[in-house]
Amino acid sequence: MKTTSSFRTDSRRLTAAAWLAGALVAPAVIAAAPADLLDQLTARAGAPPVPERGERLFTTRQQRGWSCASCHGAPPTRAGRHAATGKAIAPLAPSANAARFTDAAKAEKWFRRNCSDVLGRECTAAEKADVLSWLLTLEP
Amino acid sequence: MNATSVSRGDTARDGRAARIVVWDAPVRLFHWLIVLCFAGAWLTADSEHWRLVHVTFGYTMAGLVAFRLLWGVVGTRHARFSSFVRGPRAALRYLGSIARRRPEHYTGHNPAGALAIVALLVLAVAVTASGWAAYAYLGDSAEDLHEGAANAMLLLVGIHVAGVLVSSWLHRQNLVKAMITGRKPGAAEEGIRRTWRGLALVMLAAVLGFWWLEWQSAPTGLDLAPLAATPTAIVREPGREGDDD
Repeated sequence: MKTTSSFRTDSRRLTAAAWLAGALVAPAVIAAAPADLLDQLTARAGAPPVPERGERLFTTRQQRGWSCASCHGAPPTRAGRHAATGKAIAPLAPSANAARFTDAAKAEKWFRRNCSDVLGRECTAAEKADVLSWLLTLEP
Repeated sequence: MNATSVSRGDTARDGRAARIVVWDAPVRLFHWLIVLCFAGAWLTADSEHWRLVHVTFGYTMAGLVAFRLLWGVVGTRHARFSSFVRGPRAALRYLGSIARRRPEHYTGHNPAGALAIVALLVLAVAVTASGWAAYAYLGDSAEDLHEGAANAMLLLVGIHVAGVLVSSWLHRQNLVKAMITGRKPGAAEEGIRRTWRGLALVMLAAVLGFWWLEWQSAPTGLDLAPLAATPTAIVREPGREGDDD
């Protein structure tokens, strides 16, 4: 009987350890993803990103009247406000919102949609890399 | 075509050739408003400038579908689900009759069209519910479902339109026009007695009123300026203002 109970305790300890490990590792895995996406974009751009250029692109109002900051705010470490609907938009900077840029397909989709709105065209890989590299420099 | 010379109220000798009212006014208005809402929402789906317009079209569609579900229970004869919803077997038999170029005749919806209508209503509920969820609180997690349902709905709209064109050609009757005028050739006892035009007017007033409210409550107004603006109106170049002429 003793062996069974100690086995139970062990398995409980093991579960607790697994949870703890999971809790410690999970944010690290998520936090790694924006950098991975930046690597992919940089590889496609064929040149290292320039954060200052990304900031300029992000905050400059374009011909259609909007900048990225019109909705995402400046700096985008705080919640933004949709320029047309007034609805709150969760912070864009990964340091303030761990979910951002963790899903490459989702990031590409929103780059495509939002670049069309702001610039009237899709962004180049270099432009996306610039913006993301700047966002990654932001502290909350 | 002789039937067109028969004045309204006259009893045509050949009952089948007389034009009777099949679709009541609310059914027809519902149909064309849904067309407008779906097309409008589709065209405004990709831009944040048009986001409020898109959402307004979606909510309008939800309201219209709610009305249609109710009207499908209490409405006029050919609007009722009990009069036109039949199983897939009936739809297959009808499609078979079309393939043999001897289409079975139905005064109201044919069984294949009915299947498309039911599927379109179900998809409209899925599209508007997921769109509302994505817009109101869930964000991206509901959006894949929203886009998938919208794509499926577009596909079905294509099938529906193709079916209408093929049926119109085979039956030698303009079904699109019938959805505008409400009239089709048929036996007098197949027709509906009331067209419920007043109810259609109330519907139209409700939709226009909702749009007006949405326009009024838009935080920045519907931001149409960026789309109409010319580059010179946005990019202010100092020193150029005075000598534009």
